Amino acid sequence: MMVGPAVAVLFLVTIAPLLFSLGVSFTNLQFSSPQPMRWVGIDNYVTLVTHDVRFQTALVRTLLLVAAGVLAQTLIGYIIASLLSRVRRNRALLLSPILIPAVISPVVAGWQGRMIFNASYGPLNDLLARFGIQGPAWLASPQTSLLSVFLTDTWQWTPFLALVILAAIESQPQELIEAARLDGAHGWSMFRRITLPLILPVTSIGILLRGVDLFKTFDLVYILTQGGPGNSSETLTFLTYLEGFKFFNPSYASAMSFIQLIVVTVAAKGFLGFMRRQESF
Amino acid sequence: MFEVLKWFALFAVLAIFLFPLFWIIASSLKTRGEFFTRPPIWIPSHAEWSNYPDSLGRGALKGLVDSFTIAFSSMLVSLLLGSPAAYAIARFQVGKRNLAFWILSIRMFPPIATILPLFVIFRFVGLVDSYFGLILSYTVFNLPFAIWILKGFIEDLPREIEEAAKMDGASRFQIFRNIVIPLIAPGLVVVALFTFIFAWNDFAYAVIFSGSKVTPLPVVIAQFAGGHEILWGQISAAAIIAIVPALVLATFLQKYLTRGLTMGAIK
Repeated sequence: MMVGPAVAVLFLVTIAPLLFSLGVSFTNLQFSSPQPMRWVGIDNYVTLVTHDVRFQTALVRTLLLVAAGVLAQTLIGYIIASLLSRVRRNRALLLSPILIPAVISPVVAGWQGRMIFNASYGPLNDLLARFGIQGPAWLASPQTSLLSVFLTDTWQWTPFLALVILAAIESQPQELIEAARLDGAHGWSMFRRITLPLILPVTSIGILLRGVDLFKTFDLVYILTQGGPGNSSETLTFLTYLEGFKFFNPSYASAMSFIQLIVVTVAAKGFLGFMRRQESF
Repeated sequence: MFEVLKWFALFAVLAIFLFPLFWIIASSLKTRGEFFTRPPIWIPSHAEWSNYPDSLGRGALKGLVDSFTIAFSSMLVSLLLGSPAAYAIARFQVGKRNLAFWILSIRMFPPIATILPLFVIFRFVGLVDSYFGLILSYTVFNLPFAIWILKGFIEDLPREIEEAAKMDGASRFQIFRNIVIPLIAPGLVVVALFTFIFAWNDFAYAVIFSGSKVTPLPVVIAQFAGGHEILWGQISAAAIIAIVPALVLATFLQKYLTRGLTMGAIK
């Protein structure tokens, strides 16, 4: 009785639409064409996996963004967290401003990026010029558009990982650290054998959340580049959005979104399994 | 020596993460001409406050009101539906682990996977471009979040208090209403603040389910930014307006920030 309303609403907004979408993905439904809707079986999926280069490129590009984002944000987050863990007094005074990016809207983060990466009038290229470096066109160049999306996301979410890793560092049992130090552990061996296994369980939760969110990157692409120039910064969710809402091809877009659902589930399961094995040794 | 390096590094970190924010504030106070100089102007010579009323007049005020209405309603819905569900799952193992896992896995969905079919359904029943449509679609991520966080808070409570009340003849609902709810007040605060911020900041759902009648602030900003003539100063002013509520809330919930941001995994 108590779960009834919540489950009913969640069913209505998640399961029901997903089932509907699954059904549609096996048809040739198009809003723009007058041809009658009919079942096409797994044709959409087959086309996506075997023929659609634009989709496959977007998949690889998105996975690249996930890998680079997770790696950079975890490393930089760890450095920030270990610096912060050495601040004893008034830490909140440092932590609060650093965390601001994590609570602002991605639209605002995207807008910042638009100004900062502006090739002619932005502060980034101005700064580079002062060091004698000719900055790239950032958002307007196919070589750097995805990099700009990556940098903006890293700016926004590294503080979150720093916060998570800080919580992990703080929860290490001090006796263990002391005992290891007395036994002569230091530097890299201390980190590899003691610190890393201790902070890994909590850190991996942060990494998982970040990985899943990076895989869904949509807002930043929408504001920063609209997937361009060309398709150079087109992520999977952005391509799915275009397919469904700009090319009016809901059946094909539904098939795309199901492939994403499968990829993200398999990847998340695999990652958790991998982390569990790491922890045990 | 290490101390000096540490503080130098910390201030460098602070500068990097606050610089973009400084840049929008500075931009929101520049005149139109000040955006097109090389090198760019870092600090405008005088504060051009007119960007703020100007952006409010061009739709940001409507955006602000719409965003607030939707975010506040979404928060209420999440609390009202989420807390009894969390209680039942935590205490009576309703649905065992399957229900809990399903609720958590919704967090992993690419939003586009539900947005697409929801749009078709919403268009059919006339919920596109309505407040109710957006509030309902935000339950996709806010309700699982509410249930998950509150479940954690309820599991932390000692069972003895509820058992004592049961001995005294209190009904299940009375126990929930009079004992559990007051005890998980901090959890309710975390959920209220986070569900508000999530709905406030959302863009993916907003851009698709809004239209001419309902225009949340992030959509207004995106429209400004995608227009033919880009109004740099006004957009920056609107961006600052959009940041303020989230910033105020985050300052209040600093203590619970980790718990909320990690879906309750870290307390």
